[in-house]
Amino acid sequence: MAAASTASAAAGADASSFRFPREYSFPAFFTRQTNLTTHHAQLSKWSALVLAYARHHRIFRLGLSAAADSDLFYNRRLDRRLGMPDIRELLDFMKKDGRIEYASGGGGGSEGEVVFVYWRKPEEWARKIEKYVEETGQKGSVLTVYELGEGEGTRGTEIHGIDNEVLLKALNVLVRKGRAQIFGQDDSQGVKFF
Amino acid sequence: MSRKGVGIGAFDRSRLTSAHFASHGSNLRASNADALSTQLSVFRSLLQQFAQTHAKDIRSDPAFRAQFARMCSVIGVDPLASSHTNEGSGGGGGLWAQLLGESVNDFYFELAVRVVEVCGVTRGENGGLIGLAELTERVSKGRMEGSSEISEDDVRRAVETLKPLGGSYAVLQVGKKEYIRSVPRELSGDQRAVLEAVQVLGYVSVGMLRDNLGWETARCKTVIDDLMSEGMLWVDKQTKGEWEYWSPSFMVDTDGAVKEGE
Repeated sequence: MAAASTASAAAGADASSFRFPREYSFPAFFTRQTNLTTHHAQLSKWSALVLAYARHHRIFRLGLSAAADSDLFYNRRLDRRLGMPDIRELLDFMKKDGRIEYASGGGGGSEGEVVFVYWRKPEEWARKIEKYVEETGQKGSVLTVYELGEGEGTRGTEIHGIDNEVLLKALNVLVRKGRAQIFGQDDSQGVKFF
Repeated sequence: MSRKGVGIGAFDRSRLTSAHFASHGSNLRASNADALSTQLSVFRSLLQQFAQTHAKDIRSDPAFRAQFARMCSVIGVDPLASSHTNEGSGGGGGLWAQLLGESVNDFYFELAVRVVEVCGVTRGENGGLIGLAELTERVSKGRMEGSSEISEDDVRRAVETLKPLGGSYAVLQVGKKEYIRSVPRELSGDQRAVLEAVQVLGYVSVGMLRDNLGWETARCKTVIDDLMSEGMLWVDKQTKGEWEYWSPSFMVDTDGAVKEGE
C-alpha cells in the first residue's frame, strides 16, 4: 500500500518545502543535554519537530534506521545528528504522550524497527472518519476499508492515503464505542457505521 | 556720600524695607507659581491635544510610540504611572489612560502578559534569560493578524510595568546585548563574562575562555558548569574537538540570524 512508506521514501518527495524549526540549526540541539530542565525542553522540541515533519510529509510509520539517516535526525549542513540512543529516548518520551507506538514485529522485515507516528492519534482519525461518513450521508451503509483509505470518495479529504494499519486502529476506536462494525477478513474488510 | 539713617527712624525704615521686600518676594513667588501652573496646564492640554490627534499613530506605530514615551519621560511625566496613585485629584489612571483612553495603557499590560507567557514557555530552554530581540520577535509572532507592531522599546516598557508585582522580571545588560531575566538570580562576574563571550560566536569552549580571558582551566570549567546547571548553556559534543557550549539565544531561524546576531 502506498501509504506504508518509510521516512526516507516520503521525505524525498518534497523535503525542500518543510521548514525546519529554529532549533534544527542549533548544533547543541543534537547532543543530549545534561541539565534535567534543559533536557526536558529539548525532548519537547524534538517531539514537536518529529510530529510536524511527519505531518508535513504525511508519514505514518517511521523506520528507525532509515529515519536516523534522514534529514529529520541528521542535519548534514551542520554535520550533527541525533544518535540512536537519543532517538530511542525521544521515542519513549513521545510514547508516554501517546504520540508514537512501536509497530508490533513482523510487518517491518528489512525496515527494522518501525514506529507509528501519531501526528493525529487514532482517536482523532476516528472523529475525522465519523465526520466524513456523516457528511456524505453514508451512515448505515457498508464501506470497504480499502474504499475509505484509497477510494475516490475520500479523495480530497485528509483520510485519503491514510496508512492501513492506522486506519484500522481508528476504526477499532469506533467499534469500541459501538459506532461501527468491522467484518470480513484481511483484504476484503468492510465496515458499517451506525 | 551722606550718612543716612542715623536717627531712631532708621530702625523703622529698615523694618519697612524688609517688609516690602518680603511682600514683593511673595508676590513674585505667587506670580511665578501662577505662571508655572498656567504653563503647566497649557502644556498639559497641549500634550493632551497632541496625544489625541496622534492617538492612532501612538497606538499603531512603535517608533512614534517610543518617541512619545521618550518625550514624556524627558519632561518628567511617567506615562505608565500606576493607576492607583492619585484617586482624588482629577481621576486616577496613568497619563496614557487619561489621554488615550484605556487602550494604550492596556496595550502595555497586555504586552506584559505576553512577555510573562513567553518567558515561562522558554524558561526550560534558556534558564530564564532571554535576549530582548528574541523576546520581542516571539511576542510579535504570537500576536493576532492585523494588530500593531511591537518594538523592543515596547517590550522594555512592558517589563517595567511588571516591577510593582515584585517579581523577578528585569532588563539586564550583558556586554552589548540586553536580556530579560525572569528568574530571581543574580549573575556573578564570571558568569557575566562568559555570557558576554558567548555573544561573539554563539558558543564558547574551555579553551576559548582560557585563552581570551586568561583564566585557569578549572575556573573556566566551574563557570561553564554553573551556567549549564542553570540551563543557560547547551553543550554540543559533536565537535570532533573540544566541547562547545552554546547560548540558547542562538537558537534562531537561519534567515532570522542577521537580526539576532547584531
